[in-house]
Amino acid sequence: MNAALVLWSWCLRTSAKWPVLQTLAPFVPVVALWWAVAAWGPFPPAFFPSPMDVVRAFGSLVYRGILPEYLGDSIARLAAGAAVGMALGIPLGLLIGLSRRAYTALWPILLFFQAIGDIAWLPILIIWFGFGMTTMTVIIVYTVLFPVVLNTVLGVRSVRVELYRAAQSLGATPARVLTEVVIPGALPNVITGLRNGLGYGWRALIAAEMIVGTSGIGFLMFDARRAGSVVEIVLGMIVLGILWYIVDAWVLAPIERATGRRWGLVTQ
Amino acid sequence: MKTLSLKSLSKTYFDLYAGSHHTALHDISLDVPAGEFVAIVGPSGCGKSTILNMVAGFIAPSGGEILVGGEPVRGPGADRGVVFQSFALFPWKTVLENVGFGPKMRGVPKAERDEIARDYLGLVGLAHAADRYPNELSGGMQQRVGVVRALANEPDILLMDEPFASVDAQTRMTLQEELTRIWEDRRPTVVFITHDVPEAVFLANRVVVLSKGRILEQVEVPLARPRVWDRLVEDDAFKSLSNKVLALVRAA
Repeated sequence: MNAALVLWSWCLRTSAKWPVLQTLAPFVPVVALWWAVAAWGPFPPAFFPSPMDVVRAFGSLVYRGILPEYLGDSIARLAAGAAVGMALGIPLGLLIGLSRRAYTALWPILLFFQAIGDIAWLPILIIWFGFGMTTMTVIIVYTVLFPVVLNTVLGVRSVRVELYRAAQSLGATPARVLTEVVIPGALPNVITGLRNGLGYGWRALIAAEMIVGTSGIGFLMFDARRAGSVVEIVLGMIVLGILWYIVDAWVLAPIERATGRRWGLVTQ
Repeated sequence: MKTLSLKSLSKTYFDLYAGSHHTALHDISLDVPAGEFVAIVGPSGCGKSTILNMVAGFIAPSGGEILVGGEPVRGPGADRGVVFQSFALFPWKTVLENVGFGPKMRGVPKAERDEIARDYLGLVGLAHAADRYPNELSGGMQQRVGVVRALANEPDILLMDEPFASVDAQTRMTLQEELTRIWEDRRPTVVFITHDVPEAVFLANRVVVLSKGRILEQVEVPLARPRVWDRLVEDDAFKSLSNKVLALVRAA
């Protein structure tokens, strides 16, 4: 009992020193269970690969250059889609948030199109644009756009009226009120919208790659299905999880901390 | 410094629930000479904040006119600095950037406006907090920033809407003494809204008692300056003036 406690406290101290361990630790039992089930052997290895098989497949795909290339394709598509989605979504959100008329005219339309999920557009987009980059880009932009617009509108509306008044009384023109009050005031919500939008966009991208892609992680997984390679499908799933974790924890969360939390606009 | 005059000012709201018009202010006429400190007191709902919001240009009067230095008010402007009850500091700007906001809007270069902001922060003992964000400060410190942010823009008239109502009693007395000291030193024209009678008498040259949207009475406060609480708490003239205004407010 005492030894277990000593071991536990050692684990706590070590993981506090190395945050990476804190992230990885929860996966230890998951991988152990997976390994145990694979080794126990109720399923054939071709049907239920062990962690070691996946690591070997990873090595082989990296060695042949397929994984780096496909990963690069997927990330580039997401980045391009996110950039266009933000470039359209943030100004649109500001307009709808600031103008009562724009709100009345556009809000119902926005809610209507938000309900038509990304993948529901695929049939018609394939007819319009065929199997290729355009279709995928439209899907990602579409998916990123709505969370960004809706959250930007919320952000603009969350700016307290006294802040507008204070800026005006200090001599701010309408253009300065926009840049000094509205945009920074809406920023924490915009980042939340972006975080959601990229999450949805990433999922939509993988689905689109499966159906219309000729490269990318989604294509890799779907192609592996054709070849009956379960190990590559599992590998694709793991890559998706890891990649999203990296984007969220190393890119989005730090931005959120540096803005809204520092300003006291977002609760911890 | 400019004079402020309100000429037969009135404000009528349409009450959506009652389905009828509700008059918040009737025929308010008031002259505030340049460099005077006027406090407007009255119970909740008497219309005192409505007057301030109209002078600031945040809401339009239904009738009458507001003149600042002879010019009619049309919307908010840098000639009328406002200190808000809720402080209304920009959360995404540091204390220094908040105080330098007015000069920035006037196009003052960064180095110069930082110097102006530092000077004003020194005035209220906050030079050390220049690089902090408002949510990292106590309520009393935030309102000190709110006051010097308005002052740093050198307005003709300073409008203060119950600025010390949301800080604790100890801090409030300190803030009142600091404001008096700044006023005695620089003599800005001030319109100060409060429901706290001793506060009004302590700060002002003249106390305007408002009741149900009308001016009930104006009381001159000839107390000597500099004013400090330690002396005035026991001062008979202060006590009798406070009691007089209090009786008017209670009758209102």
